[in-house]
Amino acid sequence: MRFILVDEILEMVPGHHIRATKFISPDEDYFRDHFPGFPVVPGVLLTEMMAQTAGKCLDAENRTRGKSMLAKINGASFRDWVRPGETALIHGEIRTSRPQFATADCRVEIGGRPVCSAELLFSFVNMEKFAPGYRDEVLERYLATQPPEISPSPQ
Amino acid sequence: MSQQEALKWFADLFGLPPATITPATTRIEVLTWDSLGVLTLMAALDETFNIVANDADMRAMQKVGDVLDLLGRHGKLT
Repeated sequence: MRFILVDEILEMVPGHHIRATKFISPDEDYFRDHFPGFPVVPGVLLTEMMAQTAGKCLDAENRTRGKSMLAKINGASFRDWVRPGETALIHGEIRTSRPQFATADCRVEIGGRPVCSAELLFSFVNMEKFAPGYRDEVLERYLATQPPEISPSPQ
Repeated sequence: MSQQEALKWFADLFGLPPATITPATTRIEVLTWDSLGVLTLMAALDETFNIVANDADMRAMQKVGDVLDLLGRHGKLT
C-alpha cells in the first residue's frame, strides 16, 4: 500500500492555508477488514490525510527547516462516516509556523458535510535524513502549475 | 494571570493534576516534559501568551519555576 493520502492540491497559500482532495477508492485493501459489510475509512487515515495536507502547506513555505512531520494530535473529532467512492475535500489552516514547530487546524468534508477535524502539531526533520532525491510528487505537481515567482532582475 | 493560575495552566498542558505541580517541580519529574513536551510548551507559550521562546529559552527551563519566570519577564504574571 502506498501512503500518499492526498491526490491533488486545489489551492494553497504556503504557510497559510491549503485545500486538497483525496478520492476514496472502493478497491482500498483496508475495506476488507474495516468493516465487512460496512466499509468506512479508518479515523487514523483521515487524520493522516489532514496531516499530509497541512504538511504540504508548511513544506511549501520554508524548505530549509526540513520536512514537516506530525508530532501531536491535539484533539480529533470524527462526526460522520467516509465511504468507498467518495471524495474527501481536506482543509488545512496553519495557525502558527515557527522554525521549530507549527500548528494547524484541519478538517475534512464530503460533499459539503463535515466529517472530521483535528488540531495538529508538527515538528521538522532535516531533509538529509531522507533518501537522496526524495520528492513530494503531489506538492511539486501543484507548484509546477503556479506562475513562477518574480525575482529581482540583476543590477 | 496569577501564579496559581499559571501552575494550573502548566498542569493542564502536560495532563497532570494541578496539585502535583509547584514552582520547584523539575523537568525530570514531569514525564511528559520530553522533546515533544518542549514543542508543546513552545506552541502553548506562543499561542496563549504571544511569547516566542527560542531554543536557548527552552533549554534553560529545567523546572516549572523557570516557566513562571519567563511568563513574568513577559509581563504575563500578576
